[in-house]
This record gives sequence, structure tokens and C-alpha cells, in this order.
Amino acid sequence: MEAFELLPDEINHLVSEFYSTAVAGDLNVGLTQYSFWLLVAAVVLCVLLFAFVKKQTLVPHGLFVNGVEYVVEFVQNDVAKGVVGTSWRRHFPFLATVFFFILVNNFIGLIPGMKPGTGAIGCTAALALCSFVYFIYFGIKKHGVVGYITSLAPGGMILPMRVFVWVIEVFSLLLRPITLAIRLFCNMFAGHIVMGSFAIMASLFAEPLLNQVNALNAAGALPSLAWIAILIIIYLVEFIVAFVQAYVFTVLTAVYIQIAESESH
Amino acid sequence: MKFMNRATLAAAAAVSAFAIPTAAFAEESAGGADILIPKMAEFVPALIAFLIILVVAGKVAWPKVLSTMEEREKRIADSLDEAERTKQKAIEDRATSDALVTDARRQAADIVLEARQDAEAERARIIAAAHTEAEDIIAKAHATVEEERRSLYADAAGTIADLSVSVAAKIVEKSLDQDGEQRRLIEQYLKEAGSLNAN
Repeated sequence: MEAFELLPDEINHLVSEFYSTAVAGDLNVGLTQYSFWLLVAAVVLCVLLFAFVKKQTLVPHGLFVNGVEYVVEFVQNDVAKGVVGTSWRRHFPFLATVFFFILVNNFIGLIPGMKPGTGAIGCTAALALCSFVYFIYFGIKKHGVVGYITSLAPGGMILPMRVFVWVIEVFSLLLRPITLAIRLFCNMFAGHIVMGSFAIMASLFAEPLLNQVNALNAAGALPSLAWIAILIIIYLVEFIVAFVQAYVFTVLTAVYIQIAESESH
Repeated sequence: MKFMNRATLAAAAAVSAFAIPTAAFAEESAGGADILIPKMAEFVPALIAFLIILVVAGKVAWPKVLSTMEEREKRIADSLDEAERTKQKAIEDRATSDALVTDARRQAADIVLEARQDAEAERARIIAAAHTEAEDIIAKAHATVEEERRSLYADAAGTIADLSVSVAAKIVEKSLDQDGEQRRLIEQYLKEAGSLNAN
């Protein structure tokens, strides 16, 4: 089929459209399409947060307040209290901000014509770096600089083995922000690529029918219905992915904080 | 202090970000593996936006959100405790009032019983008094009748005497007739005396 022959080029074109492009300045100093939508998402988040704070009352009313409170309670109970433990209150503002920042960015990216701020590695790297600095800071605050560095390797081992494990743990520690950044970026990037691919396939198969209406083209356009159905399903799944990725990033950050503050790793 | 720490943290993150060699970031988007290299034009705005939101939300939004939710939680817990206490008090009050009602009913029954007994005793006393009075009245009536009878009898005797005297006077005045008039008068006298005595 001609559509399948055109597909590789179209997919390559689609992927190239997802590369960062400067919309102001250049890629070093300026804004890309991702950072633009990230700033839009940041403004939206601020508006939502302050609207929520203003509307929140002792007896919550309305879908908006109840919905946001439900998510806040989810972060409070399942992430902060559930993972961090007794010191959850100190870390709740950071965890909640990370969660809502990623969530709003992910949802903004699901609106047709917009891009998710988290769909660029630069944005997720910034969040991962904040997370990294945060848990290292609280680990050092709890144990002291030397105490934290030595606590990376578990006790009760002979010195050479402990040094070996310490080196591995340092690598593991340094990989944490990288895995955080890449996991979030790849999930959002891949999700949009998959949706774009099915949209291209739907349009490629329907294109002959749109150009010339006849029985043969109509039969050839039938697979477009299947691609559109799959596209809708993936689009709905992406809403779940948007939430799950915000949760995963936040809960991993909470786990790292808990590990950093624990007596022994 | 908490926000000072957060501000210190934010500053540390910013310093760390700018300390990363710029060479690590791609100059231009070239595709392929370049997609995994952070661009400064994305990294810096994201870092700044996140840190600003973190500081502002950490200072303004989250403390208020948490305090409102905790206040609500506390009020709900207090209300439930209060409701439980009120329920227990209502149960106790109900038990007390039931006991009071039972006691009142018992007292009322006692009062009614006592009143009945008093009424019965009064009735018996009144009947006895009435009987006594009636007997007295009857006795007095009998005595009065007897007195009357005696008085009448005495009066009758006087009358008989007077009549006898009168008859005797008449006999004397009319030269006594042995066979005729005298005898008829005496018989009449006796007849009258007998009838009086019969009364």
C-alpha cells in the first residue's frame, strides 16, 4: 500500500517536529516550544493553586475544590506520609510542588496544539536536579557531610568490601537524577510520538479518499477508522500516563529523601 | 526558618545548574542522540519557574492548604467525639428519666392505693357513724314514743278518773237506777277505759 511506503518519511518528519526549536533567542539563551509551554503551564499552575487556596474552605464546595483536595490528599497520604514517614510535613511542600508542576505540564501537553514542558529533557533535567539537590541537602543536614558520605555504604562489612559497595552506591546516587529526568522525558516524548504516528497513519490512509471519492479509495480508507480508534484509546491512556508519571517522579523523590534521612542506607 | 532552608536549597540548585559546563548542552538541535542532551533554553526557564513556584507555593499555598485540611480533620474528629458524648449523655438521661417515670408511676400507684384505702376507711367510718346516729335516733324515737304513750296513758287515767267522777256525780244526782241507767254508764265507762288502755 502506498500509505505504508510513505509512513517512514512521515514518521521521521514527525519525530523531527518534536526536537527542540528556539521560538525566541537560540537554544542556549532563549525559549524553545517546550519551555514556552512550560511557562504557560507554570502560570496555569499558579492560577489554579491560588484559585484553590482562595476557594478552599472548612467545608469544601464544588468540583474544583473537592477535586484538587482529593489530589492534595493523595500526595499527602500516599507519597508524603506513606513514603517519607514522620518528617513528611517538612517535605510536603516540595513533593506537592513537584507533583503538581509535572501533572499540569503533562496535561497541558495533551491539549491538541500544545506541547508538554516535560516532553523536553532540559525541563525534566531541571526538575531532577532540584530533586537531587533537595535530597542530598537533607541527607547532609541529617547526618553531616562526612556522615552522609560514609552512610552511603552499609556498615557491618570488611573495609575493602565497604569501599567497593560505597563506589557502587555513589554511582547509583549520581544516576538517580539522570534516571528521573530520562524516565519522565521518554514517557511523555514517546506517548506523543505514538499518538502522532497513529494520527499520521489515519490521515495517510484517508488521504486518497479525500482527494477522490470512489469505492476503491473508500475501501482503502477503512483502516483509518481503526487507527483513529487506537489513537483515541492511546489518547485516553496518555491521561493516565500523565498522572502516573507525575506520581512516579514524586514518589521516587520521596523514596530518595527517605533513604537520605534514614539512619543507614 | 523552614523557608530560609528552602531558599538556600533553591539557591544551591541554581548554582549547581549554572556550574554545569555549558559544553554539556547542545548548541543546536541536531536530532538523534542530541534529543537526550538538555538545552539551556529549556533547562534554565524550567529551573527558574519551578524554584519560583516552589518558594511561593511553599510560603503561601501549601501551609494554608494543610492547615485548612488539618483544621477540618480536627473539627470532624471533635464533632464525632462530641456526638458520641452527646449520645452517651442522651442514653444516660433516658435511663434517668425512665427511672424517674417508673418511680413517679410507682408513687402515683401508691398514692391512689392509699387514697382508696383512706376513702374506704372514711366510708366505713361514715357508715358506722350513720348507723350509730340512726340507732340513737331510733332509740330516742322509741323513748319519745314510750314517753308519749306513758303521757297519754297518764292523761287517759286522769280522763278516766274524771269520767268516773263525772259518772259518779251523775249517778248521785239522778238517784241511782240499779238495773237500768247506772249499769249502762258503768259499762260505758269500762268500755271507754278499755279502749284508751288499748291505745
